[in-house]
Amino acid sequence: MKMRFVGLGLLIFFMLASLSYAGAPLDTVKVNADRVLDVLRDPKLKAPSAKEIKKKKLEVIYDEMFDEVELSRRTLARNWNKLNEAQRKEFVHLYHQVLEKAYADKILSYTDEKIVFDREVIVSASLAEVHTRIITSSKEIPIMYRVILSGGAWRVYDVVVENVSLVQNYRTQFNEILAKNSPEQLLEILRKKVKAS
Amino acid sequence: MVALLFTGCAHGPKAVSAPDPQAESLQIRLVSNAATPEPPDVNAPDEPSPYGDYTDEEESLDYPEEEAQVDVGKIADPIEPFNRAMYHFNDRLYFWVLKPVAEGYSKVVPEPARVSVSNFFSNLWTPVRLANCLLQLNPMGALTELFRFWVNTTIGVAGFFDPASSEEINLQAQDEDFGQTLGFYGVGQGFYIVWPVLGPSSPRDTLGRVGDYFTYPISYLDPWYVWTAVRGYEAINDTSLRIGDYEALKDAAIDPYVAMRDFYVQYRQKRVEARGTQPKPVSEKEAEGVRPTTPTGPMDRIFPLYRQEP
Repeated sequence: MKMRFVGLGLLIFFMLASLSYAGAPLDTVKVNADRVLDVLRDPKLKAPSAKEIKKKKLEVIYDEMFDEVELSRRTLARNWNKLNEAQRKEFVHLYHQVLEKAYADKILSYTDEKIVFDREVIVSASLAEVHTRIITSSKEIPIMYRVILSGGAWRVYDVVVENVSLVQNYRTQFNEILAKNSPEQLLEILRKKVKAS
Repeated sequence: MVALLFTGCAHGPKAVSAPDPQAESLQIRLVSNAATPEPPDVNAPDEPSPYGDYTDEEESLDYPEEEAQVDVGKIADPIEPFNRAMYHFNDRLYFWVLKPVAEGYSKVVPEPARVSVSNFFSNLWTPVRLANCLLQLNPMGALTELFRFWVNTTIGVAGFFDPASSEEINLQAQDEDFGQTLGFYGVGQGFYIVWPVLGPSSPRDTLGRVGDYFTYPISYLDPWYVWTAVRGYEAINDTSLRIGDYEALKDAAIDPYVAMRDFYVQYRQKRVEARGTQPKPVSEKEAEGVRPTTPTGPMDRIFPLYRQEP
């Protein structure tokens, strides 16, 4: 009798363990965000000359934190199918660089903003939202991360800042471009954007 | 609204008859996720390549909420040449006039003082928010605004401070205006308009601004140049608190005009959908000190004169 309960207990234990193998979405985002903050706050990397080292470190975290391919697919949505595989790969690469160019310096200029993790919303077995706020001296900005379970971990595929979805915003822009141009021309526009400045 | 319903329907039936192998393997993946929650094997032969085709079914199966949002960023833009010209005009106005003036101003006036000025104006916007809470049948929102006004006008020293938003009192400003009220009653945006100086708008929100104008006490200042000067000062003060936001949007965009248009549409849509502003979730205690009354939205920040309610 006793053994049966032990067996049952073990069974439940293993079931729970396998259920939570990827951890909670909020915790995953929080762990990654903390790693970013650690790099930004690192006193050893305070010097302006350490900027490139910081960028390299952040890039490693970014790659783990974000599901770039998912981000790209959802940005292009139906237009994704107009690109062949080589073009898709290049698009993912270029899109990454566009985002890096746009946001790396913003992140590096971080000073003492506080990040508050409010809650997670489970959307489905493999999708969730993590709601956070960034608090600065003069304002408060709600930021929501959409995460997907991929490769055994929760990874970000959209960032929604003050209710405006990044993926949606770029989707509209790419839609507009692809309505008048070929995928190759879109890639050319992105190559130019990356090269500029 | 019609467009949303339309896309909603367009997705439904497709999910049933999907001959696309991609969609099938996706379904299998979903089912297997639900049944045996084991880490998906990266090398599994039937795992679709991440570079595989995009299917609409994915959106509807995977993320029901987003189904209706597929075309959220869409708005008719029949007067695009005019709008683009106005966009460039506003862009110049910002970089040549507003930004330098706001930068000079912020060198003279420290940030906490500027936040207080922003709080003061925000307090004066109370009638607009209150009226629109009532029009949207949101009595709790209206009461929140009444109490906020009372707390901030007294303890908050004529609105220069915002104790009502503090964690203890937790009365958040209700982000409501007449454009949103029209949206609440089912009036669509119509099409996109960029006004010189005022920025992105639509017929609905233009009409809304007229309503806001008549409800904002500052509009009744006499003579007209006093009103203009006060509104101008309000705009400069606001701009000084958000220098860099418009630049960020512009730098990140592939086509800044389209990025701004989508921003505007997404932002207004969500504000219509969200009735009022929820109290803050209880979290770790926040830093003491002055904070702005409302989390000012991106449009408010990006378009200085856009400010419908601070």
